[in-house]
Amino acid sequence: MSKATDAAETDPQGERAVLRTDGVTKRFGGLTAVDDVDVEVQNGEIVGLIGPNGAGKSTLFNCITGTLNADEGRVYLQGQDVTDWPEYKIARAGLGRMFQETRIFGDMTVRKNLLLAAQEGGASVGNLLRRPDDSLLARTEELLDYVDLGGLADTRAGRLSFGQQKLIEFAMELMAEPDLLLMDEPAGGINPAMLENLIQYIRTANEDEEATIFLIEHNMDFVMEIADRIYVLAHGERIAEGTPEEIQNDQRVLDAYLGRE
Amino acid sequence: MSAESESNSGLLRSLVPPDQVDRLFGVCGAHGWKLLAASAVVGALPPLLGLQQGYYMTVISEMFLFAILALSWDIVGGQTGYPSFGNMAFFGIGAYTTAILIKDFAISFPVAMVVAGLVAVAFAAVIGAVVLRLRGHYFAIATLGVLLAAQQISRNLDITGGASGKILLEVPSGTVFYYLFLGVLVVEMGVVYYLSNTRFGFILNAIRDDEEKATAMGFNTTYYKTAAWMLASLFTGVAGGAYSLFNTFIDPQTAYNGAWNVELIAMALLGGSGTVAGPVIGAFGLHTVIEVVETAFVGWQLVLLGIVVIVTVIGFPEGAVGTLREYASEMEYYKRGGMAATDSGEEVSADE
Ligand SMILES: Nc1ncnc2c1ncn2[C@@H]1O[C@H](COP(=O)(O)OP(=O)(O)OP(=O)(O)O)[C@@H](O)[C@H]1O
Ligand SMILES: [Mg+2]
Repeated sequence: MSKATDAAETDPQGERAVLRTDGVTKRFGGLTAVDDVDVEVQNGEIVGLIGPNGAGKSTLFNCITGTLNADEGRVYLQGQDVTDWPEYKIARAGLGRMFQETRIFGDMTVRKNLLLAAQEGGASVGNLLRRPDDSLLARTEELLDYVDLGGLADTRAGRLSFGQQKLIEFAMELMAEPDLLLMDEPAGGINPAMLENLIQYIRTANEDEEATIFLIEHNMDFVMEIADRIYVLAHGERIAEGTPEEIQNDQRVLDAYLGRE
Repeated sequence: MSAESESNSGLLRSLVPPDQVDRLFGVCGAHGWKLLAASAVVGALPPLLGLQQGYYMTVISEMFLFAILALSWDIVGGQTGYPSFGNMAFFGIGAYTTAILIKDFAISFPVAMVVAGLVAVAFAAVIGAVVLRLRGHYFAIATLGVLLAAQQISRNLDITGGASGKILLEVPSGTVFYYLFLGVLVVEMGVVYYLSNTRFGFILNAIRDDEEKATAMGFNTTYYKTAAWMLASLFTGVAGGAYSLFNTFIDPQTAYNGAWNVELIAMALLGGSGTVAGPVIGAFGLHTVIEVVETAFVGWQLVLLGIVVIVTVIGFPEGAVGTLREYASEMEYYKRGGMAATDSGEEVSADE
């Protein structure tokens, strides 16, 4: 699998972390939104990323996905240096992303949203000009039933409620089966009942499908419950890393959240 | 079932129940190819049943022509979300290509028409690399710029006949053009219909709905946009290639007609952009209306066009087909989704 032929293209540390960032820095004019940040996510982990508003969490995600180009530092995906790759290529290499504001294709039916997410076959002309086959259609129905939205396959996705759209976006990632899934505030703006479901879905995906997940979250109960490890950002800097218990008892973290320097 | 009858109170709803409309869409969806074949046969009948060359045949041929152009516009404008004001540039390039090849190089009409399509595609590939980087208003204005530039170039060149254009005297009969435009239209409808159910078609729609999300999902959107743009230029270029002979005359004003560009956008929007039938229905409807108004109230057709566009955009932004589809799916949503949402406690307000 590994293309270790080109030394410059691979992770110098040689490890096979699913994701590793090395000194990633991103500036907007005078503001350093992400400041020399190292993170690492191992296969099968659920890793949390927390920090006050404006800490640079989404910006770090954007640097990982290639939506933004980091000013300094490198990003390695499965040991490959993807820092200078275009965004679509990084995604195709196995990186999935759910957005903070929830984004699905509103004027397409729910079914088409899911079909689109299926990765198999790639961008070959033959695959592009083929109609979705029965196994793919069956998988779509299965996933919709799984997230309790069965029967909505032919509905225009934009008609669904915010929470339902979030579930569709999640189902799309289950369809795509990325090596690593970045989730930006999955619990934001959804009601407690649905949050319970979502936690269950994420757990199941992690345990049964071995999905590796890196998630930003403001809901502390949620992230403490679900994450194996947590990174904390404040003012663009990584100020702590550890298990949920360690983070909860870390003085610097408490200070950052209380606004003390 | 009780919820259904409650919300079915409106007169419109009782006359045309949404589920009946939905069923109609279901039938159309399931028998798309048969419907297309049947339409092709119906379209082919009039000359066989005695429609003579003349005014009516010309008007119907023009309807087919506009349907080709509106559907082509919609591949990029409606399916992919890039509203172009420069599609007539492909048309003009096609028109001049056949005119020049036939008049100056004595190439046969069918060959010239194929070449016209290919030249338009090559032009689209080059131009697309630049304009498809732009979005929204910038894209619209850039494409308009391309149209005006192409028009100006044809005015200044010798080979295009300059401002006075080119006259073509030896042309096939009106019946030939009738079937030619019909044939191209049917093929194009088949292609668009087929593509709209493939992964390629889904990707175009995804680009329209949220290009950044599509990129984040691993699609190289430039590649797909350019492919759609080239496909649109192929049909537009071929149509233009036939038009110069159909019209027996071509000049910069006719070939690169900005008013037509607006007209065909109006047709696609009116009928329902992002669908196969919408732009075609819109073209037939609007061209008929324009033709009637032009005959009855000379000079008022542009005013009418303006009114029609404004009313459509405000009242039925989805167009005829889109509005109907939305109406039809309404019941579906309340029957299944609306209920499901209530069951899972969707309406519970946030606590904390
Ligand atoms: N495109 C941009 N241009 C300029 N400044 C930006 C841009 N994106 C983010 N910023 C700034 O960078 C800082 C970090 O923003 P970011 O969105 O990464 O924070 P966050 O940790 O995700 O916050 P939140 O929890 O509110 O989502 C903020 O001060 C923000 O205003
Ligand atoms: Mg954020």
